Amino acid sequence: MTEKHQTTGAPNPVAAPSIHTLLKTTAAAMSVAAVLLVTCVLPAEYAIDPTGVGRRLGLTEIASPTLKVAEPLPSDSALAPVVNGPVGLYPAEFKFDVFEVVLAPYEYIEYKYQLEKGATMLYSWHASAAVIHDFHGEHSGAVGEGTPEAETYDKQQRQQASGSLTAPFTGIHGWYWENPGGSPITIRVTSSGYYASSVEIHSDHTRRVHTLRPANALSLAPEPPATAGGQ
Amino acid sequence: MSHSDAMSPPERAGQSGSGWPRLVGAVTMAAVCLVIASPALDAHGVSTKDARYLLSLDGPAIIPLMYLGAKHMVTGYDHLLFLVGVIFFLYRLKDILLYVSLFTVGHSVTLLAGALGGFHASAHIVDAIIGFSIVYKAFENMGGFKAIGFQPNTRLAVLTFGLFHGFGLATKLQEFTLSRNGLVTNIISFNAGVEIGQFMALTAVLLALGYWRTRSGYLRHAYVTNAALMSAGFVLVGYQLTGYFVVGR
Repeated sequence: MTEKHQTTGAPNPVAAPSIHTLLKTTAAAMSVAAVLLVTCVLPAEYAIDPTGVGRRLGLTEIASPTLKVAEPLPSDSALAPVVNGPVGLYPAEFKFDVFEVVLAPYEYIEYKYQLEKGATMLYSWHASAAVIHDFHGEHSGAVGEGTPEAETYDKQQRQQASGSLTAPFTGIHGWYWENPGGSPITIRVTSSGYYASSVEIHSDHTRRVHTLRPANALSLAPEPPATAGGQ
Repeated sequence: MSHSDAMSPPERAGQSGSGWPRLVGAVTMAAVCLVIASPALDAHGVSTKDARYLLSLDGPAIIPLMYLGAKHMVTGYDHLLFLVGVIFFLYRLKDILLYVSLFTVGHSVTLLAGALGGFHASAHIVDAIIGFSIVYKAFENMGGFKAIGFQPNTRLAVLTFGLFHGFGLATKLQEFTLSRNGLVTNIISFNAGVEIGQFMALTAVLLALGYWRTRSGYLRHAYVTNAALMSAGFVLVGYQLTGYFVVGR
């Protein structure tokens, strides 16, 4: 048989099914799609898991991943304080850090400092739009039976925060930020504290360890620029 | 291709061996394949490294933008599924060229107009419509329109869905604040890359279908295959509509 299709007709050599078969098939296609959506796609993409199957299959992890640091960060036990009344004494100088990152839509990043138990830091961060945010700490090294590896201090959508943290345990302490979608978001953190190093961990699991500047690298207030508008 | 004359007469689709378990099994398998493949592929989102690159652009970058356009098309499973649907029953080169050109014209118009003119739309809604275009094409291939006795113009449909696919591309590009410097060159390069990518993807799909068409099971399994395609389309629709309500925009 030679095919000669009418101009508007579907170029389809298969004869039409009965309405009954067609309805049955469409219903089957929809049901399969619905089951897959509810058990796999929605848990993995949006952490929506009405049946609990997604959690059991480990798929909700994809939507809200918990990242672990593979190797320990450079730490410095000299940065643990000796408490003397209201004063915490450290044998070393504090350090300071300024960090800025641009998150593309749906991208996330973790940025954390290595702090000894009892060590303090001060921080302020600001984002160009509200971000999904989780300020938390992770133990370095093994934790005892029944102790969670990570502890959340503050978890909610925020655009900025300023505060101080006294590390409740030795480990890395810092933020998880996620762009909820839309436009790119810039986040800028300024902090100072008795930390040894920091680490950034990206959506694609690449990580970069920062060595931080000692306080004596801070200079006196800079001279005001001679002319405005220059580079 | 000369398979067309050698094809056996059409079979009564949906009657030969469309028992429930077999049908559901095939549909499930195809849909599972789609889901398993999806993390590796990158449906419509521009992956984060590419996104950072786009944001860093300041000035024309013809070859990189062509590469990104081609990559987007080759790894965009929603475009690919739709193309499979479109050429499923096209045997003659003339027909394939006609329909693919309609699709190309459609998405070029909206990609260029959208990205240059700055038309905004919810990416989720556009992607849901793209998912629906797969459902539509599968329904047509299943003989659905013949069964209900109403056949919309196929060429017009392909052109219209082409418009939506292009609008989806434009919306994705606009999620990044692209530099005005060299924007026209970059968007046109991206579009050219999309066409190259489509050509490569189409070649692969045609080779696969061409081989499959030489087997006797092609027409026999056409109905079930398109039912699976339809199911995948429904998954995409549900995924994107949920995204619209959960993530917003």
